[in-house]
Amino acid sequence: MSRLTARELTLAYEDRTVVHELDLAIPDGKVTVIVGPNACGKSTTLRALGRLLKPAGGAVLLDGEELAKLPTKRIARSIGLLPQTPVAPEAITVADLVSRGRQPHQAWWKQWSEEDERAVSDAMERTDVAALADRSVDALSGGQRQRVWIAMALAQETDLLLLDEPTTYLDISHQVEVLDLVRRLNRLRGRTVVLVLHDLNQAARYADHLVAMKAGRVVAEGPPGEIVTEELVRDVFGLTSVVVPDPVTGSPLVVPGAPWRPDTEEDGEPEPDASLSKPLRG
Amino acid sequence: MTTVNLRPAGYGIVRAGRASFLLHRRSALVAVGLLLLLAAASVAYLCVGERFVGPTEVVRILLGQPSPSTFVVEELREPRLVVALAVGAAFGIAGALIQTVARNPLASPDIIGISQGAGAVTVAAMTFGLTSYTVLPYLSIAGGVLAAALVYVFAWRGGLHATRFVLIGIGFAIALRSLTTLFMTKGDYLVAQQAQIWMTGSLNGRGWDESAPIRWTLLLMLPAVLWAARAQRTVSLDDDTATALGVRLGGVRLGLVAVGVVLASVATGVAGPVDFVALLAPQIARRMTRTAQIPLLCSALTGAAVVVLADLLGRRLLSPVELPVGVLTAAVGAPYLIWLIVRSRTASAGGKA
Repeated sequence: MSRLTARELTLAYEDRTVVHELDLAIPDGKVTVIVGPNACGKSTTLRALGRLLKPAGGAVLLDGEELAKLPTKRIARSIGLLPQTPVAPEAITVADLVSRGRQPHQAWWKQWSEEDERAVSDAMERTDVAALADRSVDALSGGQRQRVWIAMALAQETDLLLLDEPTTYLDISHQVEVLDLVRRLNRLRGRTVVLVLHDLNQAARYADHLVAMKAGRVVAEGPPGEIVTEELVRDVFGLTSVVVPDPVTGSPLVVPGAPWRPDTEEDGEPEPDASLSKPLRG
Repeated sequence: MTTVNLRPAGYGIVRAGRASFLLHRRSALVAVGLLLLLAAASVAYLCVGERFVGPTEVVRILLGQPSPSTFVVEELREPRLVVALAVGAAFGIAGALIQTVARNPLASPDIIGISQGAGAVTVAAMTFGLTSYTVLPYLSIAGGVLAAALVYVFAWRGGLHATRFVLIGIGFAIALRSLTTLFMTKGDYLVAQQAQIWMTGSLNGRGWDESAPIRWTLLLMLPAVLWAARAQRTVSLDDDTATALGVRLGGVRLGLVAVGVVLASVATGVAGPVDFVALLAPQIARRMTRTAQIPLLCSALTGAAVVVLADLLGRRLLSPVELPVGVLTAAVGAPYLIWLIVRSRTASAGGKA
């Protein structure tokens, strides 16, 4: 079952079409990860799923209703979204920022309820930022700041959570921390999560459902174990690689071809493997 | 009604029946402080003049007791004080709202063309022989609203872009100022002089009749201002985050700008474009309250305090010559703002725009 689906979705910035007639169903209660090379339209798709971008054609449906026709506040009670580079107001405190996640549940005459209080404390504990409550967001490290933003999105308490590259700017341990947090939310709370990730291996590790995009189209989707192959990596990223089982999880692990070496050029004939090896960003 | 201290940190919750309101505690304290300052400044304003009336005497007159100075205080000084308070508060709120929407501390009605629009229409009317302060405000309001509408329409590109809004506003401000100058050179000498004084911002000769538009506007806009105080919170986040939180950004921004434009235009109509109040008051208020968004009530109180103090100085500094209030508002507000910025420089980390 899918509460959130895209039907023949076409997305464009001005007159440049980025996504072409995309059909996508986000499986309920699972972690879906969208991957693809830079400028493949993955973030654009996520923005459209969260009604930040109006479709140029087709529609995004929430429970069968067109997103564009629903009141934005009602959407905000079902879909939480964390953009790629959110900007906090100057000098805002952590607790203040997280509490703004309650916006869609509040009204002018109902600015704070016990439910708000519980949701905010819960979100802050879950993301381990409760100790930072009175600190200014400006003064935090990148990892802490990202956790605060995620806490804000969690405080919104939506069934669907869309995160646009939540691990960018984080070191590896914080990346793992964020992804584990996402999985915990999914497994313990049954939240449906959609992530855009750069790192194919992290995507394969954490996704229940992987969507590979290229040039605005879905190339393959399904459980990572079934779809991540050497052919797919070559097709989508133009990268020669070896796919082996991850020694810890058993999920597919993409190992890029050998890096460039000076001796490969002495023959005047560089090995095709090496010349194709572009490092993955992540 | 009870007050409980919960999250978010720094806020208290005021409950009334089933309703609950967030109250920033520091802002509340600052507001009380500003009210006291304003009360003191107002009494001083009523005391000082060609003939000094003692503070106790002034308070007695205000409480309705008979006194030989009743006429001086109630008929000569009080109406002008009320204009000063109302104009200051209106500019303070207008500046706060426009700075919030533009996300730019330099944006204010006197920068983005609203005051210039009001000015151009008013000076044009003066050149054509219209000089009554009971009619001019309405023309000025029309001019300000029209200028703001044009800026808004030109800055619109599938949504309101904050930087575009400010830049186009500055463009309009320059064009409208030239238009005003044109009218002034066309008109005769006396009109030009009157227009010049009006354009500096002056409270001279403003009584109950002249202040009627601003008093009514403030009263009628009160519900809108209460709405704005809450709505401001949500537009201080970036566009994507605010939209994701269910904020109808387009509508909310238009509403905030509309409230700001109406207040700024009416205030300009009554007193002329009193420089810097709308620019300074919100920034001073925000630095005092240390809130993430510009505090609306404190901006209003700061604006009122700046105008009252500036006019008090203007009346007495070179007495018997009266200086227009606009000459002194910057002198009153700017040093304090600079001091606040210098003091906080060490505290704030990172160079955020």
